[in-house]
Amino acid sequence: MKHLSSILVLFVVATSATAQEKAVILAGAELQRVVPTGFYFQGLSAPTQMRNSAAARFGTDRYVISGLVDTSGYSEDVRAKYVGFLIADSSITLNVESLPTGAYGFSFGIAGRLTVMDLAGKDLMSVNISNDNSLRRPHPLIMAAHPRWWCAAVQRPRLSHRGAVTQR
Amino acid sequence: MTFSSSRRVAVIWMALTLPLALFAQTSPKKPEPQRPMGGVSTGTPATYTSRRTANITDPNAPVVFAEITDKTPLANFRHRSGEAAKDYIFETPSGGVAIFDYDSDGRPDIYLVSGSTIAASRGKEKVPRAALYRNLGNWKFEDVTDKAGVANERWGFSVAVGDYNNDGRADMFVGNFGVSRLFRNNGDGTFTDVAEKAGVARQGWSTGATWGDYDGDGRLDLFVPGYVQIDLNNLPPNPSDVGKNGAVGQNFCQFRGVPVMCGPRGLPGEGDTLYHQKPDGTFEDVSVKSGVNDSEKYYGFSSAFVHVDDDRLLDLIVINDSTPNQLYINKGDGTFDEIGYPSGVALNENGREQAGMGLAVGDYDNDGRVDFHVTNFSDDSNTLYHNDGDTNFTDVTFQVGLGEISIPFLGWGTSFIDFDNDGWLDLFVVNGHVYPGVDEHQWGTSYAQQALLFRNIRGKFERVGAPPGNALANAWPGRGLAIGDLDGDGRVDLVINNLDAKPVLLRNVASGTGHWLGLRLVGDVAKKSPRDAIGTIAYLTAGGVRQRREVVSGAVYCSQNDMTLHFGLGGAMKIEKLEIKWSNGDLETIDVTAIDRVITITQGKGVAK
Repeated sequence: MKHLSSILVLFVVATSATAQEKAVILAGAELQRVVPTGFYFQGLSAPTQMRNSAAARFGTDRYVISGLVDTSGYSEDVRAKYVGFLIADSSITLNVESLPTGAYGFSFGIAGRLTVMDLAGKDLMSVNISNDNSLRRPHPLIMAAHPRWWCAAVQRPRLSHRGAVTQR
Repeated sequence: MTFSSSRRVAVIWMALTLPLALFAQTSPKKPEPQRPMGGVSTGTPATYTSRRTANITDPNAPVVFAEITDKTPLANFRHRSGEAAKDYIFETPSGGVAIFDYDSDGRPDIYLVSGSTIAASRGKEKVPRAALYRNLGNWKFEDVTDKAGVANERWGFSVAVGDYNNDGRADMFVGNFGVSRLFRNNGDGTFTDVAEKAGVARQGWSTGATWGDYDGDGRLDLFVPGYVQIDLNNLPPNPSDVGKNGAVGQNFCQFRGVPVMCGPRGLPGEGDTLYHQKPDGTFEDVSVKSGVNDSEKYYGFSSAFVHVDDDRLLDLIVINDSTPNQLYINKGDGTFDEIGYPSGVALNENGREQAGMGLAVGDYDNDGRVDFHVTNFSDDSNTLYHNDGDTNFTDVTFQVGLGEISIPFLGWGTSFIDFDNDGWLDLFVVNGHVYPGVDEHQWGTSYAQQALLFRNIRGKFERVGAPPGNALANAWPGRGLAIGDLDGDGRVDLVINNLDAKPVLLRNVASGTGHWLGLRLVGDVAKKSPRDAIGTIAYLTAGGVRQRREVVSGAVYCSQNDMTLHFGLGGAMKIEKLEIKWSNGDLETIDVTAIDRVITITQGKGVAK
């Protein structure tokens, strides 16, 4: 019997960008330039898991960045709650909830919801997430410009991890 | 999830994999809080009424192994690695063990690696020693460490055996925290450390290495994973510093809310090294050129050169702690493609990175393809990757019965072993926690832990219980593991190297076991096959079952199994077919007329008389 279950979450970050501001998923040096190597949250700085980080650029100079962190220095209760960070340099919308420019921590709640917190650990919003149990090769974190592409890409045999996050 | 936007929008999708309910079967039925993603999941502060990893016995269980350590000189060996508090990560993962026939007398011998201490590393106390025990037969052993010159008075972690110079005598690479060694077997009962001269005196933290001829030139090459970069003169914070002046602002790691030593997460990892052997017997570092240098610097623990696909080229798997595992497919031009993610072995079925420790290599379901079993941290399951073919693997851990039972255990050495000779590879797993403090809490785990033996019932596994008072009822701080038929009775025995303790020698005394056949293979160097046949695959058909065995160096966990290929035959009295795919790709079908013995087969020459 399968004991570990998983939720694969696909969530969309929509900006108020114009039609010309298509999302570009960053890779390589451009990705490394924008992703912080560590992230402050609730009293500690934890190293970023660079392999599990991603970023998208909108237009020429607007970014949404996210990554998982090594939370081994945190107390149990914080670590149970905080898994990664989300940085947006313009306001974004998650579901119907608006999130202003800023840096946030995030976690997954117990009822299949994504919780976004401020840097002090205070809950700011909680939004629904959806499962995709059809993914054969789930990854800890990947950004994609289009969900259909994403689904096809990660299920294609022998596709490299880096390729999966960099293709558009 | 739906999203709203009042205007045209730019959209991105982010996919995250979320592990849920690690204790769904074992903890009270209340919602589980989210735990960190990736790396080690350390579980919630649940209280248990039993340790779950010790003192679990079954009065109806069969007696399979008898511990006979105290009847041998192995009882005098004491592994040592750091201090009892285990404040630093390098004090916890040593050490390996090898079963191999160093003196070519037909009886496999035992080599035990020891760690060291900070004080010893600074010259302030005597350095602990490794030990070599010569097998005299009838469970008599002789400590020949000094004569052989293999005490390795350094901080030892691993041992991998390979006859790198094709002289018919098994050599040893010993991976150290510090400078590693290559012990060349001189053929007279002594070894010489030739690591510097040969160019494999690797520095840093060398873990479970593997020998293999990846480029088909007939000479063994050497792959060595690197673990973590640690400077003994600039140590990371440790739990005993909590609350001290100067400790403010430091990140201290916690296990269930209790400060513990950090790492590896947050510590800089170390790249891996591939040494290519040149015609003159020296080695060159081709890690970057070949594409296996581990530029991400994952925390490497175990590795094995092994045939993953159906071509004649040796592939390479690397098991990493708290980071994705890597699978390198040999392209045949001196380079490899890393396909850990798309192959399915990088992560578990939930897309989660695990704390990979040990690696078992074998075809557990007799479908002709090699599978992998990987041990992981406590509060997480070990993982069995089934080879589906075409370099695709599926995590079948829970489907085959290996999942839930392994969760409270922190696994190290793991090896497939047909202990009952029924023709189906069973599984033996050595366990032991890294935090001594777990014994002070009712967390459902313990520092010393029982080993796990699983019987393979046509591809499904069930735990073989431990009769009260039997060896399997004992709990040890286990690390390395090696298997081999030490007494030549056709039942595979094993040795466990325990952290800061004496080793355990387990004699297989299972009753009603099946018939068997052992193969010692000798490659033809003139045909560019390594003499010790590493990379050779044997397919044996008996009783209608076709089994696959491969000569592998390394794996297990920093350890070396005896390279004699052991086949259980069940009730079959004859070998229907024995096919050998030698390291160089040559295929041979061997006529075997006798069973219940070890035979030697030389490439192109058949069974030795």
